[in-house]
Amino acid sequence: MRTFSVPLLLVLLAASPYAAADDCDVPDNLVETFARLPHVDLSAKHDHKLEILVLSAAPKLSGEASTLKSYPYYLESELRERLKGVDVHVFAQSEPRKTIVEVAKDLPRFLSERQPVLVIWQTGTVEAMRGIDPDGYGRALDAGVAALQRGGADVILVNQQFSPRTDFMFDGAPYTENMRWVSQTRDIPLFNRYEVMKYWGETGAFDLTALKNDGTYEKVHRCIGRLIADLVIRAASLSGTVER
Amino acid sequence: MHQVSPAGRDLRLDFFRGLSLWFIFLDHVPSNIVSWFTVRNYGFCDASEVFVFISGYTAAFVYGRVMKERGFVIGAARILKRAWQIYVAFVFLLVFYFAEIAYVSSHFSNPLYTEEFGIFDFFQKPDVVLIEALMLRFLPANVDVLPLYIVLMTFFPPVLWLMLRKPDFVLLGSIAFYFVAKVFDWNLVLYPYDHSWFFNPFAWQLLFVIGGWCALGGARRISPLINSRPVLALCVLYLALAAPLQLSWLFPGITGRLPGWLMILPLDKTGLSGWRLFHFLAIAILVIRFVPFDAKFLRSNWARPLILCGQHSLEIFCLGVFLSFSAHFVLTEVSSLIAMQIFVSFVGIAVMVTAAALMAWYKDVERRGGKPPPSATQEGFEGVTAS
Repeated sequence: MRTFSVPLLLVLLAASPYAAADDCDVPDNLVETFARLPHVDLSAKHDHKLEILVLSAAPKLSGEASTLKSYPYYLESELRERLKGVDVHVFAQSEPRKTIVEVAKDLPRFLSERQPVLVIWQTGTVEAMRGIDPDGYGRALDAGVAALQRGGADVILVNQQFSPRTDFMFDGAPYTENMRWVSQTRDIPLFNRYEVMKYWGETGAFDLTALKNDGTYEKVHRCIGRLIADLVIRAASLSGTVER
Repeated sequence: MHQVSPAGRDLRLDFFRGLSLWFIFLDHVPSNIVSWFTVRNYGFCDASEVFVFISGYTAAFVYGRVMKERGFVIGAARILKRAWQIYVAFVFLLVFYFAEIAYVSSHFSNPLYTEEFGIFDFFQKPDVVLIEALMLRFLPANVDVLPLYIVLMTFFPPVLWLMLRKPDFVLLGSIAFYFVAKVFDWNLVLYPYDHSWFFNPFAWQLLFVIGGWCALGGARRISPLINSRPVLALCVLYLALAAPLQLSWLFPGITGRLPGWLMILPLDKTGLSGWRLFHFLAIAILVIRFVPFDAKFLRSNWARPLILCGQHSLEIFCLGVFLSFSAHFVLTEVSSLIAMQIFVSFVGIAVMVTAAALMAWYKDVERRGGKPPPSATQEGFEGVTAS
């Protein structure tokens, strides 16, 4: 094992140069995907509009933080900027603290209310915190993605974020593994938010360990919005055609 | 492992248990680059399987002898005493876990992690959480293998009694129980009652019993089979196929897409998936075949740190969990750079080895003092006596 792992470690070390502060860039292997987004492609090129639904179980920000902008906002402005002539709407649907089984019941309603061509489904955190059976989680997610696809939407999965201070309290890895399994069998992209943010933390691009509000929130969310916009444009083959 | 004689200690058990303790520590430090070295990245099973199997093996070996020589009651009492020690160790770790959570929850208000604050909801009612934890119905991550041992050991006396008389019958019963539990989806429920144990004891008992069965002569009886060429070839083939499959999982972008029939990952760890079980058995068969009982390296200096850790497994396991909390604390408070991850990993292992060496030294001093050493410190994780 040693003969194999030492070169591997060197490769990993070499692959993580220090990024400049406030830089969203991550290595390609963290964000590349083989999956396509055919409904997004069609809607952008023929109807010149994109209705995107961001579905999450994150609670609303409260107090001073309630005015902070999150990644759906940045995703929308980024896509509007880069896809001229396409009417982009991003709607954030939050179901605070609900597990996948509870959220799955409402999927038909979300589809009929907003008619999205793309659902960005951020999931896994609540389930990891509560220790829901990862296998059952995978099956519920698979059924949910199938329902969204039947309803005419493309899907991008977004896993839990990298939260260094709570990392030891619950283990999100089994849920990300199940998301990867669903993303491969259903042929949809998985945006690995955990690995992306971990990369930023390790390279010092952002300080992710602050106990209090230090202004990192919007910087991180702007970068996530931008990377997901990149992913949408690449997976829907929109670059060069619609893109400016 | 069939060459074990009552007089000699099988150092392979200590060596591999020590190795699995190191791996468990490295894997428990969140987002640690050094965990790339551990076995879980190169195959289906991980250090947990190694640990449960060896614990079953040593428990049957040691307490089986006690039960044979001194009767069921004394043997059962020794086993239950061990279960109690593991319970105390579990509560000890729980205190550290709660302390770190309490610290973070009272200082943490970064809006970036609003969603993760949900974990603190459990601690709104400390009375409920503490009582549930003491009743093994609230199990923090990373400590959950200890409750599995407590349950396995508590129910071990009658199993061992029967195993000394009808080992094959017990093995078949254990296999049947594994399947029945799978079919009926049995597991122990955890607070807040919508989920269950991460290590399902109804499934993991099988590996523990297989370990015990091997220790009580099973391995010797099937040694012609496990040393036969077809079985060895099958094991090598299985491991050779599992490694790239597991590695492809870690590099989704590089390896691209696998055909649908190969999509067996992720494997069910909670229910001890058969893929994982066979992967572990394949490794065990190859180890028995190619690492002889009296292999020279087991007595060499570089194997010594691992063997020392393996000989004090309960203490070193607990220390490892505590060190993984501390390493995590350093990585968040000081720096999470890769150099720091490597540094805390090495420091952690050095501390584990030092502690194990001190315990061995103390045991030795006590023994030379002419007084019998206190029995509690004489035993390894499952009571492997050093003599």
